[in-house]
Amino acid sequence: MGKKVVEIENLVKRYKELIALDHLNLTVEEGEIFGLLGPNGSGKTTAINCILALLHFDKGSVKVFGEEIQPDSYEIKKQIGVVLQNVAVFEELTVQENIDYFCGLYIQDKRTRKKYVEEAIVFSGLEDFRNFYPKKLSGGLLRRLNIACGIAHKPKLIIMDEPTVAVDPQSRNRILEGIQKLNQQGATIIYTSHYMEEVEQICSQIAILDKGRCVASGTKEELKSMIKMGEKIHLEVWNLQPFQIAEIKELRHVYQVNYQEGMLEIWCSGGKHNLVHILDYFNSREIGFGRVYSELPTLNDVFLEITGKELRDSV
Amino acid sequence: MFFRLYKYSLLCSARERLFIFWNLIFPIILGSLFQIAFGSYTEKEVLFHKIPVAYVEEEGADENFAQLLKTLETDNDLVQVQTVEKDEAEQLLREEKVEGIFYNEAVKQTETEISLVVQEQDINQSILSSILEQYERTYATLLTIGKEYPQGIQAAAALVEEEIEYLEESSIGAASNNDMLNYFYSLIAMNCLMGTTTGLACAMKFKANLSALAARRVIAGVSRFRVLWPDLAANISLQFLYVVFSVCYLMFVLHVPIGDQWGFLLLTIFVGTLLGIFLGFFVGVAVRLPYNAKEALCILIMMVSCFFSGLMADGMQRLIDRYVPVFSHINPSSLIVKSFYSLNIYDTYGRYLENMGTMAILILILAVGSFVVVRRERYASI
Repeated sequence: MGKKVVEIENLVKRYKELIALDHLNLTVEEGEIFGLLGPNGSGKTTAINCILALLHFDKGSVKVFGEEIQPDSYEIKKQIGVVLQNVAVFEELTVQENIDYFCGLYIQDKRTRKKYVEEAIVFSGLEDFRNFYPKKLSGGLLRRLNIACGIAHKPKLIIMDEPTVAVDPQSRNRILEGIQKLNQQGATIIYTSHYMEEVEQICSQIAILDKGRCVASGTKEELKSMIKMGEKIHLEVWNLQPFQIAEIKELRHVYQVNYQEGMLEIWCSGGKHNLVHILDYFNSREIGFGRVYSELPTLNDVFLEITGKELRDSV
Repeated sequence: MFFRLYKYSLLCSARERLFIFWNLIFPIILGSLFQIAFGSYTEKEVLFHKIPVAYVEEEGADENFAQLLKTLETDNDLVQVQTVEKDEAEQLLREEKVEGIFYNEAVKQTETEISLVVQEQDINQSILSSILEQYERTYATLLTIGKEYPQGIQAAAALVEEEIEYLEESSIGAASNNDMLNYFYSLIAMNCLMGTTTGLACAMKFKANLSALAARRVIAGVSRFRVLWPDLAANISLQFLYVVFSVCYLMFVLHVPIGDQWGFLLLTIFVGTLLGIFLGFFVGVAVRLPYNAKEALCILIMMVSCFFSGLMADGMQRLIDRYVPVFSHINPSSLIVKSFYSLNIYDTYGRYLENMGTMAILILILAVGSFVVVRRERYASI
């Protein structure tokens, strides 16, 4: 078991009648890329603001690097880098000046700072834009600048709150690769996102938040094993009769069937030969079929099953 | 660290076009428009220049008036007196070498009559007239008290002395009681108070619940006050420079006679700028409104303050002084205007220091109030 970098115990935060965090418990260990998933309003950003001692909370405790974090815990804060959801840079400073400004809040030695700033520029792929003002940058470059400002001082803990919102696929890939690189260099990362595939791609540990509670946590494999669905099979079939659909539903491990416009979707719980059983049924009834393919559960399926709602645009 | 952050804050503000326009260019444009509108007045009356006047004294006439003129000439630099014969005085007036003639004639053995003859009626002639009126009023007062209540003459003399001092100030005030000049003082006050928007911008970058930029700075591993000081210092420096630049423009390009006591002028501008910036900062940290509403509030405070100090209406300052003196004593723009006024009008610094002291107290209240609000602050919501 690694060293605990962040420990949240029984954290309760209310906004008047609304409970934003409801006895939240989370532990982030050293070296992890910890994904925080949840629909809008699930408490992800509130949890992050509590970790950063920006918000006061009603109950519970937040420890960072083993110590309770307070607004004036400067030694702890020096080891944290933050990439906020909204781009937070000076519009009137160039890319290089912005990174130098924020790096300088942590690093006083001029030579070291110069080196770190240069490394952050290279890391973010902003070499050709160092003298650009933020308003001249594209959305993706602006996000990269936002990240560079947050990580230039080489923090041990990096908190990224939806850093890829409104970013083109190329920039997103670059950002995700960068995050993995930072992790390989020794940084622990807390990553919140709306995008399941991102979390699935980079996070070693994941917690799913809903209504301020942690409803599930673990590795992606552990999360997938928690849900009923083991496999989703798609078959192209024409003129399938309702009684046949009912029969398919009765097959072993099948718990849900959907037939629409010639495409049959069959949800199966964990089982080794689900596809064989289904194809046997089609052969025995002499029902012709076209394309067949099988899907393993994704994090999105995990999320849907656990929270019962769409991740995006849900409140 | 301070100087690096100061440099960047300075760069930020110096590159902000809106800030440059409103805090530097706009006052210059407004000053130029004022000059177009009132230029003839200000050029005609060159302040701090002695008013040439001829003095004709008959034998046996009251010598006190001659003494008063001498005082006004030597101590107050108000008039330049030529004691001449009647014919010569009239000749000087015709040739416009003097602005008026004071005749001091002995009417009876114990009575004298002092009169003033002027060729045209403008501000300088009004000043000469007011000198005479005040002298006569004081003289008459003392005579009446001497007759009716001889035992109180000493006390009355002391009071009258005080009054004379005040009236002297007023008459000297009249010398530069150039109502048009008040517009320019108000304009400088407005320029100083434009620092409210700068102070508000500082607050926006300081409180984590107001902007993402502020949140990023607050969560840095350094006391947020160490980040705030350079910000405030940079904005104060820049705003101060802008106001000084505007004042220089008024003085050297438009030839508006703002004054010549540069040390005190700069001090007034500096304190005025501080007052504006801390007012804006206080609104930013203490008032719970959306940013746009705070900005509107700052502009409203600034404009109302300037309105009541006479930026838009001649004589407004006098009305407020008369009917709501308390407001006049705490109105930032009035305080700045009065500081300039008293600096350029009065010989003594009593009134100037009084205004500056009030501004210093206001700055202290706003600064302490702001820091109490933000000290060790965590937010209920962001």
